[in-house]
Amino acid sequence: MSHTLPRTPCSIVPPHLLMRLAARQDARFAVAADAARRALRELDPLRQAREESLRAPVRRPSAVVGTLTRRIHDAGGREVLPGALVRGEGGAATGDPSADEAYDGLGSTYRLFSEEYGRSSIDGAGMDLAATVHYGTAYDNAFWDGERMVFGDGDGEIFGRFTASLTVIGHELTHGVTQYSTNLEYQGQSGALNESLSDVFGVLVEQRALGQDAAAASWLVGAGLFTAAVQGVALRSLAAPGTAYDDDVLGRDPQPATMADYVETASDNGGVHINSGIPNHAFYLAATALGGRAWEGAGRIWYDAVLGGSIPTDCDFPTFAAATTAAAGARFGATGREAGAVADAWSAVGVLP
Amino acid sequence: MRIEITRSGGVGGMTRTWSLEVSRAEAEERWLPLAEAEAGPGKGMQDAGPPDPARDRFTYRITVGYTEVSVPESRLGEPWRELIERAREAGRARPAPGPGEGSGPTTAAGDGTPEELL
Repeated sequence: MSHTLPRTPCSIVPPHLLMRLAARQDARFAVAADAARRALRELDPLRQAREESLRAPVRRPSAVVGTLTRRIHDAGGREVLPGALVRGEGGAATGDPSADEAYDGLGSTYRLFSEEYGRSSIDGAGMDLAATVHYGTAYDNAFWDGERMVFGDGDGEIFGRFTASLTVIGHELTHGVTQYSTNLEYQGQSGALNESLSDVFGVLVEQRALGQDAAAASWLVGAGLFTAAVQGVALRSLAAPGTAYDDDVLGRDPQPATMADYVETASDNGGVHINSGIPNHAFYLAATALGGRAWEGAGRIWYDAVLGGSIPTDCDFPTFAAATTAAAGARFGATGREAGAVADAWSAVGVLP
Repeated sequence: MRIEITRSGGVGGMTRTWSLEVSRAEAEERWLPLAEAEAGPGKGMQDAGPPDPARDRFTYRITVGYTEVSVPESRLGEPWRELIERAREAGRARPAPGPGEGSGPTTAAGDGTPEELL
């Protein structure tokens, strides 16, 4: 196994990456850590600020110390946003499971991006995290409206309340991260990648909160949302796309795991929630091949790719596969097992960069 | 006249279909003009202006006879909501479909007096 520093000028490496590298105690990373410490000494604040202002704001990784500011609103069963404020940052628990699950879930999601990836909130600049619960009557959905997460109570027949799944909360918030980073178009393959990033970081939020390594995790999105009447365990499975449910009313989980089963459809913005199964499964294969904590290995690589600047808004699967493979090489070494695992994962799902 | 409503999208990405029968008079007075207005210039998906930043919202495809329109949830007005609620209610009033009928209840419901099937 070999680990080499990316051969790039120090000024291009974001300060938070340098800080993480500099803090490494592992002997295998001694050279990298020394180089990062030198680079940090050379970075004067003025130069740092200038570089940040030159970068597109949407791509900017955070060098700002993050503060978590959550605001939970209650729509009271109406389809009106934002609704009444029921819990602000540091406020006491409300006793309403939806409001308190949303509050806790926003915190878990914030901490993944902040503590692992150095990103301050969804925009990288400390934006408040807002959620509305009890949206609509018997409303069977959770969505991102461009500014906030919105959660329905479910109809009680198929779905219960949507805040019950931490992966769904992480999924919705990651739509915000994507909006402020790659801004992937919500159509076809770029839309499926947008969806997949939300699923990937949604499951990583839960895995990190539960302290689960890749082998122990369920790799399910939306487990626990269905009522007992539904034949199914979750909305989607990254481990086995197409197997999350098979129900009389809902039909069968339509997700493909490989390009051989790619679904061409006009509905769902060209199947953004369907073909996301392919990049989802590639992530699962890479993460389980690497083992350990998925948010530190494959998750870090995917996040590096998101911020790396090589993902256009109309990105297709092969371009994304190339970006993640390159990101694995840049962080862990081009001949390291990480880059190999990522390349193998894309190959296994039939996506060739 | 048969009206079919297919909802796609949502965080679950599950497609649901509901349908109901309405009288030809009701379809011509209420639903066909609405569908034609929705399909007309300035209202279609291709004329949507700046991209909508919303994610995981529903899209409804509503078919009235031979006229089909696609309406994003964010533009769903009160008449359509009433129609969707009636179709869902009609679905609930019917017995559950047997195994293998994957896309949900789609059989016609006794909602209004059907004068003619299209």
